[in-house]
Amino acid sequence: MTARALALLVGGAATLGGLAPLRADPAGGERVFQRCMACHSVTAGEVGLPGPNLHGVIGRRAGTAPGFRFSPALVGAGARGLVWTRETLDAYLADPETFIPGTEMGLPPLRSADERRDVIDFLERRTR
Amino acid sequence: MRHWLLTIALALLVLPSPAAARVQVQAYALPPGGGPHDVAVGADGIVWYTAQRSGHLGRLDPASGKVDLVSLGPAAAPHGVIIGPDGAPWVTEGGTNSIVRVDPRTREVKHWPLPGSRGYVNLNTATFDRRGRLWFTGQNGVYGRLDPASGDMQVWDAPRGRGPYGITTTPAGDVYYASLAGSHIARVDVESGAATVIEPPTRDQGARRVWSDSRGRIWVSEWNSGQVSRYDPATGGWQSWKLPGERPRAYAVYVDDQDKVWLSEWSANALVRFDPETERFESFPSERANAHVRQILGRPGEVWAPESGTDRLVVYRTR
Repeated sequence: MTARALALLVGGAATLGGLAPLRADPAGGERVFQRCMACHSVTAGEVGLPGPNLHGVIGRRAGTAPGFRFSPALVGAGARGLVWTRETLDAYLADPETFIPGTEMGLPPLRSADERRDVIDFLERRTR
Repeated sequence: MRHWLLTIALALLVLPSPAAARVQVQAYALPPGGGPHDVAVGADGIVWYTAQRSGHLGRLDPASGKVDLVSLGPAAAPHGVIIGPDGAPWVTEGGTNSIVRVDPRTREVKHWPLPGSRGYVNLNTATFDRRGRLWFTGQNGVYGRLDPASGDMQVWDAPRGRGPYGITTTPAGDVYYASLAGSHIARVDVESGAATVIEPPTRDQGARRVWSDSRGRIWVSEWNSGQVSRYDPATGGWQSWKLPGERPRAYAVYVDDQDKVWLSEWSANALVRFDPETERFESFPSERANAHVRQILGRPGEVWAPESGTDRLVVYRTR
């Protein structure tokens, strides 16, 4: 786990002043999620996709979704205390390989802060 | 376009396995931060790769080690690259939801966007048929065809929705793709566009990529089961072999000019060569952690593997 990941674990949202609310776009979140849907489901109980089910992901310890074989990198991050929050998800989506070196998720960096906010909104709405 | 002059041939490895006598491994360092996803080598020996993280198409001259980067635009996140019959690199460009051709001489970048009505399809991989038409997969549940001569593009819904991933053309001109989420392969009728699902014998195997051998038999890398499987269209029969190691996961597959089958195996962080005649595997571990080889392609005597996790291209020279 990188120093930034560690800082997020220790300091939480307080370390991320840059995450001030931006203009939300509910439809935008679903649109951004089209980049994720080939591998991830937001429907409770749906398994068998190449990525873990994201139902209930907010608040879940990394690498622990039932029924999915995670990479050692994700399991290790979870064992060290990484929990998926709005802030940690934002950092992960911004650059998965940098946030958790060795992650197997194939998503390229999602550079737009607006898009990250929208897709995290979508996940909060659809998977709680 | 940006130019990078790199140190030539950072590593010439001596492998501890018996394969050392026959296979030379050479790694080329690339500009950092590119995340090389797919690779293709042309008849001229020039190697093109998709730098998915940075949005470039890269060009490596293996003779000098020189790397050039061609920008595909600020929103680009290219996934696949193949060499077309015109000698140019063709890209499945996921960031802009378009097929892209880069002129190998002028570096001009030309886009063929997917129809807007299709939305974002998560473009994956492409192959050319024998009539010079490009076939592509979209992981969100489509496959399609672009005729570069006319610009005509057609997109079809995949028979079982999301999942279409690797795609290949047999020597006879038949096109097959693999569905990762759907755990099957499909044969595409290149005239009608219809896709016929073909079920591998292992349930939920996670068919990720496909490649044809010289006899038109389809080799499948199975991510979930850790197997390589072979489908024979002549008989409809299947055979499967488990890759070595504990809980293997087979990501990419490529069949070389000697009909040897190369796979990337992520649990052991290795490239694996399978000999169908002896049914034996040889393993070539990367000397770097988390190599994450997501695709393999080559030309006679060379097998190229992009290490997306280490920003390197590695060539396995077989003669």
